[in-house]
Amino acid sequence: MSNSFHIIKPLLLKAGSHSSRILSFAGLATGVLLLFCCVQMYFNLQQLTKKNSIRKNGYDYIAIRKSVTNETMGQKKLNMFSSGEIADIRKQPFADAVAPLVANNFRVQLSAGSLFDFQTDFFIEAIDNDFIDTLPDSFLWSEGDATVPMIISSDFIELYNTAFAPGYGLPQLSDATISTVVFTIICYDRNQIPVEFKGNIVAQSDRLNSFLVPKTFLDWANKKFGGAVATDVSRLFIKTKDANNASFLKYIDSKHYRINKDKTLFGRAKQIMQGVVTGLGIFGLMVVVLALMLFSFYLQLMIARSKDNLQLLLTLGYAPGWLSKKMSGQFIPVYIYIVLIALVLTQLFQFLFHKYVMYDRPELSTMLHISVFILAVLLTVLTIVANFRMVKKILYRFGMNQL
Amino acid sequence: MQLRIQNLLPTYFEESKKSQSDIWGKDLVFSKGELIKIVAPSGSGKTSLIHFLYGMRNTYEGAVTYDNKLIKQFNQEQLASIRAKKISIVFQDLRLFTDQTVEKNLLIKHHLQPFQQENKIKEMTERLGISSKLESQCGQCSYGEQQRIAIIRSLLQPFDFLLLDEPFSHLDNDNAVKAMELILEEAALRNACVLFADLERFNPYPQTRLLKL
Repeated sequence: MSNSFHIIKPLLLKAGSHSSRILSFAGLATGVLLLFCCVQMYFNLQQLTKKNSIRKNGYDYIAIRKSVTNETMGQKKLNMFSSGEIADIRKQPFADAVAPLVANNFRVQLSAGSLFDFQTDFFIEAIDNDFIDTLPDSFLWSEGDATVPMIISSDFIELYNTAFAPGYGLPQLSDATISTVVFTIICYDRNQIPVEFKGNIVAQSDRLNSFLVPKTFLDWANKKFGGAVATDVSRLFIKTKDANNASFLKYIDSKHYRINKDKTLFGRAKQIMQGVVTGLGIFGLMVVVLALMLFSFYLQLMIARSKDNLQLLLTLGYAPGWLSKKMSGQFIPVYIYIVLIALVLTQLFQFLFHKYVMYDRPELSTMLHISVFILAVLLTVLTIVANFRMVKKILYRFGMNQL
Repeated sequence: MQLRIQNLLPTYFEESKKSQSDIWGKDLVFSKGELIKIVAPSGSGKTSLIHFLYGMRNTYEGAVTYDNKLIKQFNQEQLASIRAKKISIVFQDLRLFTDQTVEKNLLIKHHLQPFQQENKIKEMTERLGISSKLESQCGQCSYGEQQRIAIIRSLLQPFDFLLLDEPFSHLDNDNAVKAMELILEEAALRNACVLFADLERFNPYPQTRLLKL
């Protein structure tokens, strides 16, 4: 039967309205193009944000705290993380590790000692060493040591040098000098009896906005001077692969926790852009579905017009499966052309986007993402199979009713 | 190859029909090479019988089997296959593509399952006197000409059984004889069984069995 279709073709594909056919093809092409562009844009966003969030060791370390509101003001417990809340954060898929930033629970004073006359009430904090970005070997303390190593935020040095020191006539300190300064850390027990330790700054941290001492020291000191190991935690550090991860931001928002907005600003923008792209993608998908429906109606109309001829062909011995294959097969080149045109246009848009909007940024590719090609193949196959099944179903119905 | 009917009766016929008929309610086997004549007055169910044998209608009690398989249980692909290769038919109402040319009508069947060379079509139309109509639209041919087109069409495929439902009703005796000669030649070529249903006895048909419906 292979060469017999050209004989019967005019009996079957009685052209319907030319404009409705063109319209359905144009709709299909528009929908497919929109869908491809959205999928490609989604991957572009992924590429761009991935590059942006890469850290030295591939992780972001984000500090979170509770919002202090008028209602919670003065209620220390409400502004602290409970052990249940910490456990819940640890369970989240975005949290690779969680560490509390423990503070002193006794009075502490800091003095600059012999260098210049400076003494103030103060605070110290400690965290797991894994969370410290600049961790020197000397950042150790064991019971009996008179010197406590300290890591301080580079921001504090900056503020001291640019604002505090000039205003009070104190000497500005270089990085080299500051490590030589010997501070005095004065710890007071519950009876206000002071115990002094020497303190020296062994590193500066860009990540941790605090005055850090070794955890072994703070645990010991809290117990010794404060009477117990501190359990109240007001700040937590989360180690995550991507601080701009949508699920991370969603979780933080849902719990009303506060974080450094700078670190997640990009993620917020990404969230919005992904929302827009997803919305457009859904719209594109809807256009594709509508166009396919329109085309399916066109095909059904064409079959209905050829109903008598089709029934006679079935009566004469033409197989419904073969007829369905041949009839729906007539449109395969059209689908392929539509998908190819959409692919070429998407590729062109990607090229222009990369070249003139993103100025050849290396993290982006001029070529389309492999998923767009896979989607193109899937869409073509799906359309062909769906139409074949529809035509076959109709022909089987005709075959059942040949009289 | 056998076509068999067992206790067959259209659902819209009364049981009493069985006692008056050689076919309804009987167990009959039709084999290759046989020339069966079925004689029946109008309304006795000739067309129904032909449609049952061709698998077009299932409105009957009893069984119709082809090669010991119930035709009722054939799916549409299997039916298409036996219609293309095993059972051919001339419908009483002809069933031609009236808006197509005579040649196209014949080619549609020829291409389905070619049995002979394409030039055989021309030869057959010459024998039945319609070769000049090949380019004409079928609907514009007379009913007699259309009957001859339908007959030739039925002979353009391989078959084990040829079902004829009043194929000469609009042909004069001379043309009917020519058509019958062609049918018999083609049937002999395939060693096929011809089931010829007509209103009355048609003399030039050398039937091996005569059945009254």
